[in-house]
Amino acid sequence: MIGGQRGFVRARNAIFAAGALIFIAIPPAGAQVAQQTTQTAADKPEQAAIPRLADGHPNLQGTWHNEVGAAALRKAGPFGDYHSPGVPLPYPYLPITQKIKDYRFAHDLYGDPEAHCHLPGVPREIEQPSGIFPFKIIQDEKYVVILFEYTHDVRIIPEDASPHPSHYAAWDGDSRGHWDGDTLVVDVANFNGRTWLDMDANFVDENEHVVERYTMTSPDSIALAATVEDATVFSRPWTMHLMLKRNPAKEHLVEYDCHEGERDVDHYLQSEGNPSGKHE
Amino acid sequence: MNRKLLLSIWAAGAAMCMACAIPRAALGNPPQEKETYSPPRLSDGTPDLRGIWEARTTAYLNIEGHAKEKGIAASKSLVVDTADGKIPYLPDARKQRDDNFAKRESADPASNCFQAGVPRAVYLPTPFQIVQSPGNLAIVYTDAHAYRIVDPTAVPHDDGIDYFMGDSRSHWEGNTLVIDVVDLGDETWLDEAGNYHSDQLHVVERYTLVGPNTMRYEARLEDSKVYSKPWSIRLLLYRDMRAGARITEDECLEGPDRRWHHLSPSDPRAILHHDYAAELAAAAKNNTDQAKQ
Repeated sequence: MIGGQRGFVRARNAIFAAGALIFIAIPPAGAQVAQQTTQTAADKPEQAAIPRLADGHPNLQGTWHNEVGAAALRKAGPFGDYHSPGVPLPYPYLPITQKIKDYRFAHDLYGDPEAHCHLPGVPREIEQPSGIFPFKIIQDEKYVVILFEYTHDVRIIPEDASPHPSHYAAWDGDSRGHWDGDTLVVDVANFNGRTWLDMDANFVDENEHVVERYTMTSPDSIALAATVEDATVFSRPWTMHLMLKRNPAKEHLVEYDCHEGERDVDHYLQSEGNPSGKHE
Repeated sequence: MNRKLLLSIWAAGAAMCMACAIPRAALGNPPQEKETYSPPRLSDGTPDLRGIWEARTTAYLNIEGHAKEKGIAASKSLVVDTADGKIPYLPDARKQRDDNFAKRESADPASNCFQAGVPRAVYLPTPFQIVQSPGNLAIVYTDAHAYRIVDPTAVPHDDGIDYFMGDSRSHWEGNTLVIDVVDLGDETWLDEAGNYHSDQLHVVERYTLVGPNTMRYEARLEDSKVYSKPWSIRLLLYRDMRAGARITEDECLEGPDRRWHHLSPSDPRAILHHDYAAELAAAAKNNTDQAKQ
């Protein structure tokens, strides 16, 4: 069924790329790609230009999307590597988890939890392919709330640096935030070991720990650095750098739902010329 | 989610709250009352509805009311403006409801872990959180991680698209948040007893703080395909006042029976512990078996 599996990925890439191209067509984005990968903490935000709430913190509210970058999409085409620039591939697997990743890539791409309509986890929800869908941030002095269009995923992030709970394991983990100057730092733990990082079988497990840093670099852009560590999967922590861009104010999110579950896979297979929809 | 545990917790809460029974509006009148409570406000002057809210009632089983069951408290009808507390179904629609009831175990869309729709999401036995800032309001439900972004009325309703959670537009009438909801489709029910609506459902919700930790919820349902006249429900919502209270993630897993089941993040089965050596050994065996075939 390898042909079917590839077809499945191809179809998803094509759908995703078509959506992405619409986004790229709106803001001419080519010039931003280079600066996206070189964004570092040393780049001082333009202090005066950043909108702020009454509590003095940067006002992250609005509707945003992950700026994939025209160069990345050109490189990808409809069938290729769709990752954003700033995603440090290949990830530094341990020898045994490299074998696991390779096996799943070759034989078990249907194991992707997103193919079963599950929550994407962190940082995948903002990266690919869900990253092509917009998300809305609502913020007050206590919470930063991220409402993702993709599979109606929600993160309610307290800004009080409160501790993670015990006996709690979730697809999106548990997020606790605090402000480091003008940067929102979110510590994410309590993952359930079920999520992948992308549709190419890159994965994390129950020991994943993410530190996200959201830094507004202009009124219409947020630099996001997500550092992922997982000692049972990777030999060292690694950091994904994304650039979030503001969507036009009049755009609003619509409901995205995914509820066919396992039967989605059958339909993908049927579309690949296998009328039974059965898979191994 | 451990449904039995939840039920018992909520039943206990509902039992404790019998004293604060829901007042019934004068029959035939839309359920609107003058309110004297002056709520806290955001910087833009709008009432501050933020917080985690829950309906301490078992009416999610049957909004027309039901008797006490084993481990579950009885509930009065939520319907406030019909003489008998029943939903004014058209004759054929009542037959459909009865049919839904008969096969509710499998026919209830919620048994597939679909988003609950409006108003059902409000009185589920799981809490929801109102997120609000000047110019923004969203309602985030525990159940199926559903949420609604409630845009102001100035933004027109979407046309020709149905959503599980509908398309919500809001305005303030005094201290009451009024949400106009359309585009709800016909794939959600109103409770676990088969009470339902068509794709013509139009809901007008009213949220009014009546005390620091209590909010009145009213909803008027209009659906000329299914009901002989518009009708309304009313219930009270209570603030979760526990320090550090949070909405927890509710994601269903598909079981061997190919049906979806709630699994609480606090359930030890929620976490998948990996044994990579065993997984590789199983993969190698699988490859060998396939090579033999």
